[in-house]
Amino acid sequence: MASNAPLTPALKKSDNVFVRTIQIISTAAGWCSALMILTAVLLTCQMIFIRFVLNGSTVWQTEIVVFLVIAATLIGLPFVQMQKGHVNVDLIPLMLSGTVRFGLAIFTLTLSISITCIMLYYGYDYWHFAYVRGWTTDTVTAVPLWIPYLALPVGFGLLLLQLIADLVALISKSEAPFGLEAL
Amino acid sequence: MDPLILGALVGICTILVLFSGVSVGIGLLIVSAGFLIVFDGMRSLELMPEIFFGKLDSFALLSIPMFIIMGGSIASTRAGADLYEALERWLTRVPGGLVISNLGACALFAAMSGSSPATCAAIGKMGIPEMRKRGYPDGIATGSIAAGGTLGILIPPSVTMIVYGIATETSIGRLFLAGVFPGLLLVALFMVWSLYATWKSGDKNLLTARNYTWKEKITVLPRVLPFIGIIIGVLYAMYGGVATPSETAAVGALLCLTVAIFIYKLYDVRKIWMILQDSTKESVMILFIIAAAGVFSYMLSSLFITQSIATWIGTLDVNPWVLMLAVNIFLIIAGFFLPPVAVILMAAPILLPIITTAGFDPIWFAVVLTINMEIGLISPPVGLNLYVINGIAPDISLKTILKGSLPFVACMIIAIILLCVFPNIATWLPEAVMGAAI
Repeated sequence: MASNAPLTPALKKSDNVFVRTIQIISTAAGWCSALMILTAVLLTCQMIFIRFVLNGSTVWQTEIVVFLVIAATLIGLPFVQMQKGHVNVDLIPLMLSGTVRFGLAIFTLTLSISITCIMLYYGYDYWHFAYVRGWTTDTVTAVPLWIPYLALPVGFGLLLLQLIADLVALISKSEAPFGLEAL
Repeated sequence: MDPLILGALVGICTILVLFSGVSVGIGLLIVSAGFLIVFDGMRSLELMPEIFFGKLDSFALLSIPMFIIMGGSIASTRAGADLYEALERWLTRVPGGLVISNLGACALFAAMSGSSPATCAAIGKMGIPEMRKRGYPDGIATGSIAAGGTLGILIPPSVTMIVYGIATETSIGRLFLAGVFPGLLLVALFMVWSLYATWKSGDKNLLTARNYTWKEKITVLPRVLPFIGIIIGVLYAMYGGVATPSETAAVGALLCLTVAIFIYKLYDVRKIWMILQDSTKESVMILFIIAAAGVFSYMLSSLFITQSIATWIGTLDVNPWVLMLAVNIFLIIAGFFLPPVAVILMAAPILLPIITTAGFDPIWFAVVLTINMEIGLISPPVGLNLYVINGIAPDISLKTILKGSLPFVACMIIAIILLCVFPNIATWLPEAVMGAAI
């Protein structure tokens, strides 16, 4: 079954200091992400106001708004992971017994950590290229691209930390595999 | 390796990875990276972050978080209950008014929120207890709301349609318009079934009207008109050429938040944060899948899988309608396990070339696909709406809710058949408003 909780569940506080610290960081990342989306809403409204009410021209808003939403997506990844908000198909895990489900959860988390490491490594590489070579957008504002690209290593880096925290919580039995309590 | 065999291998691996319980976005990245490493070498991984970023680098995507905030603001207020009350009072003379009001409220709330579970929860919280109190059978009370809630992804503005538009580079404005008449058709079919089932249940009193005074009718209006006004304003701005869908969505989001705060007196900062938090969660989840699906789509095309499947289907001497039937069966099955957004993003790059090669209109197909996804929302094993209803009315068994929903699944299949016979139901309005597609 695909699961993504429509409402925010109350987060279980972990006894583990590392897990708790990462939870605080991920929550802060969630705040940043939400504020970036809210800023994007306000900037878009400001852009419409300037264009249609003041009859002025808008130069930088569209670009900034798009970059804000991209950054909000990447920076928000650890928060959504912590809240178990990333949709998944949990039909098979539901059918499995406790031990096998635990093993599968370890396996999927390890896979997730591996792919996040790949994205982090190449994301950093991509950002570094943009920084060293001084890439800019080909628009009037010529935004230095390393600024929006920075969201790639930061977002995947934070997601990696949250995934490691999830693995630690799982191994220390403070969290149920796939967030599913034993039947 | 033959790209077709490779395609089958990708399909099997994707199913295995996704069913392992890994999140959809990460699962798609895992499969993409795995196949790129094996068949294209390690160097191809360098492109993954660039494609991931590039897929999100679009102003059209902005409409997703905006419409989600809009829906989230409405869902966090009493708007659903107010809308339900207003319709019940105003539709008092219509036979079977209560169940009709519920379905009408679902359709209107769906138009305002764009979300199926939110529609189910908002209307169901008031509608289901009221229908049960008046003696409606549990199956009809729960089934009608579960099915009515699915309209959220068809009636504009719909996040599912936006995602389809982005995945297939189809006009979002046209897609929204294409959903209007099929949405109304489904509402009509749902109403016909509900009235028939109520009449068949034996209690004829359920179909009789209940009287409300004009004062009672008027007093409920100020609470619902602001939101309806915003929706009409948003649709006018979009089709009146004032602004793009993303821009109108941003204004709509700001207005809905303002109405929620000032008219519905949502002064508590924690509650406003909750709206933003839930909206952020849903937006990030969808945008992450979009970006990951972009990488997945790149992998498919870089290994010539997409092109080979389209060519292979083109060489097959299959009746297009047989093909459409196969596609529908595939979509229904996929919808049983995966949420609509994930199905669209994964299936669109493969299905669209097949559909267009077979001569089908992509706008019409979007509507058929969405109704298929609606079926998934009220069918086991996923059936998100069934679980939402179960949460509202825990004393009604999931089996009863499911049994009550099944006739509505039949209504949806009838709607798909009608759309196949009369495609104009979906394509007429976009063409009438925006002209023929180029």
